[in-house]
Amino acid sequence: MIRPAPLRWGLIAAMSALAVTAVFPLLFMLQAALRTQLDYENAKIGLPAVFSLDAFARAWVQASIGTYFINSVIVTVGAVTLSVALAATSAYAFAAIRWRGRTFAYFFILVWMAIPPLLLMVPIYVEMTDLGLVDTYWSVILLYSALNLPFNMYLMTAFFRSVPIELLEAARVDGASVNTIFARIMLPLSIPALATLVIFNALYVWNEFVFALLLLHDDSVRTLTVGVNQLVGKFFFDYPALLAGMLITSLPMVIVYIVFQRYLVRAIAAGALK
Amino acid sequence: MVIIDDPKLASRPDASARSTQQRRRSRNPLRSEAKWGVIYALPAVVVLATFVIYPFGSIIVHAFTRWDGFTDPTFIGLRNFQFLFQDQTFLAALRNNVYFALSVPIQLTLPLGLAFLIHQRIRGWRLFRWTYFLPAIYSTVVLGVLARLALQADGPLNQVLSSIGLGGLGRDWLGDASTALPSIMAIFVWANFGYNVVLFLAGMSAIDPQLPEAARIDGASQFQVLRHVYVPGLRRVMEIVLVTSTINAFAYMFTYVYTITNGGPGFSTFVVEFDIYNNAFAFQKLGYACAMGLAITVLISGLGFLQIRTLTGGRE
Repeated sequence: MIRPAPLRWGLIAAMSALAVTAVFPLLFMLQAALRTQLDYENAKIGLPAVFSLDAFARAWVQASIGTYFINSVIVTVGAVTLSVALAATSAYAFAAIRWRGRTFAYFFILVWMAIPPLLLMVPIYVEMTDLGLVDTYWSVILLYSALNLPFNMYLMTAFFRSVPIELLEAARVDGASVNTIFARIMLPLSIPALATLVIFNALYVWNEFVFALLLLHDDSVRTLTVGVNQLVGKFFFDYPALLAGMLITSLPMVIVYIVFQRYLVRAIAAGALK
Repeated sequence: MVIIDDPKLASRPDASARSTQQRRRSRNPLRSEAKWGVIYALPAVVVLATFVIYPFGSIIVHAFTRWDGFTDPTFIGLRNFQFLFQDQTFLAALRNNVYFALSVPIQLTLPLGLAFLIHQRIRGWRLFRWTYFLPAIYSTVVLGVLARLALQADGPLNQVLSSIGLGGLGRDWLGDASTALPSIMAIFVWANFGYNVVLFLAGMSAIDPQLPEAARIDGASQFQVLRHVYVPGLRRVMEIVLVTSTINAFAYMFTYVYTITNGGPGFSTFVVEFDIYNNAFAFQKLGYACAMGLAITVLISGLGFLQIRTLTGGRE
C-alpha cells in the first residue's frame, strides 16, 4: 500500500489518465467513423448526430479497404503458418532428435535474433526483385517467416525440451518413428506453445509496414497498413472514411488481444525470462 | 551450412556407441535419427539463409562498392565510409536518432514504476494492466496517421486545448522544427511503454515474494523496496529493455517518421533509416546505402554490448 493517501490517489489519477490515452485512439476512430464529413469538420470529437455506418461502406469499397483487408488476411495466415511450421520442425530437430551438429545449427539460427531487419532493406529488395517475388504475397510471407524464425525457434525449442524425455523413450520402445513422435506426441502436447507463437506472429505480420511498403506496390496485393497510409496522401479528405478504415485495420488485433491476452503476454515474458 | 549438409557427418554413428549399436542396428532407431535431425532442421535453415543471412552478407560486400542496382558494383574500398562522416544529411539524421535514444531512461524508469504499482495491486491494477498494452497492439501506421491528424494546427489536440482555456499553448506541432521531433518522441515512448510494463511485471512475478515482505517488516519504505529488492532482481529485464529501446531508437523509427512528418520540416526529424531508404530507392546509391546499414549495425551492436557491460559492470 502506497502511503500517504494523497500520494496514492495522485498516482491512481495519473495512471488512469494514461489508461485513457491508451483507449483514446479506438474511441476517436469510432466516433469519427460514425459521423458525417461535415459533422467531423465542425468538431473533431463529438457524438454522432445521426447513426450511420456509411463511412465504413465508403472505406470498404471506394477506398479499397476491403481488398487490403483480404490481402492482409492472406499474408498473415500464410506467414504465420509458415513461421510456426518452420519453428516447430526445427525445434523438434534441436530438442528431441540426436544428431551431430545440432548444437551448432541451433546457435547458427539463434544469433540472427538481434539483427535489425530494416537495415537489410536494400539487399532484401534487390534479392526479391531478382527472384521475381516483388508484388507477390510470397515476398512478405517468406521474409516475415525468416525474420521471426530465430525467436520462434528459440521459444519452441525451450518448450519441446520441457517435454519429459521418458515419454519419448517410451514411444521409441513401442516402435514409434521420428515422424510419429512429432505428429502424435509433440504437436498435440505443444498446442499452448503453438497458440502463443501464432498470436505473437500474427500481431507482427498484421501490423508490419516497411517491408510491405517496399515489396507490395500493386493495389491488388497491398496490405492494410500500406493501404491506409497512402489514403492520407491521395487527396483523401473524407476523414470519417479514413478513420473507419483505420478502425478496420486495428480491430482484428484488438479482438485477438482481448481473446488471447494470456498467450501474447506469455510470448513476451518468455523472451525476457530464461 | 556445410557441416549440416554433409551426409557423411550426419549418418556417421557415434564412435563410442558403435560397438553396442552394431548388434541391434536393424532395430535401433538412433542411427536413422541423425538423418531425420537434418531433414527437420533444414527448411528453417534454408529460409533463414536465403532471406536473412544472404542479405546480411550482401550488405557487407556491397558496403565497399559503388552500385546503382542496374550495372555491376565496382569495388571502391573504404570510400563510402570516408564520405559517410562528411555527409551532412547522414550526420543530421544520426543526430536525430541520438535524440530519440535520449528517451531510453524514460522508457526504462516509467514502465518500471508503473509495473511496480500494478504489482502492488494498486486500486484499478487489472484495468491498468489491460489498457497499458493496447498501444503495442495498434499498428504503428495507425498511430502515425492518427498523430498526424491529432497534431494538425486545426486538429483535435489544439481544439481540446482551447476548449479548456489553454488555447495559448496551441501550435502547429508538426510544422514547427522545435516541436516536431519531441512530438514524435512522445508518441514513440507512449507506443512502447506498455510492452515494457509487461516485461517488468513478468520479471517481478518471478521474484520470491518473501524478499520484499522481509524488507517491509524491517521498515523499508516502498521506494527502498523497489530500489533495493526489485531492481537487483530485475537486472536481466532491465538489460533487455535498455538494449531493445536503444535499438528501437536507431533502427525502428522509420514508420513513425514516414507517417507523421516524412522527415520534415526540413531535416528536423530525418533519421538514418530514411537516409538509407532515400539513397537506395530515390538516388540509386545502393552501395552507399549498404555502407550506412553496416555502420548502424556496428554502432547498435557496440551500444548493446556497452550497455550490458555497464549494467553488469564489476559483478560478472
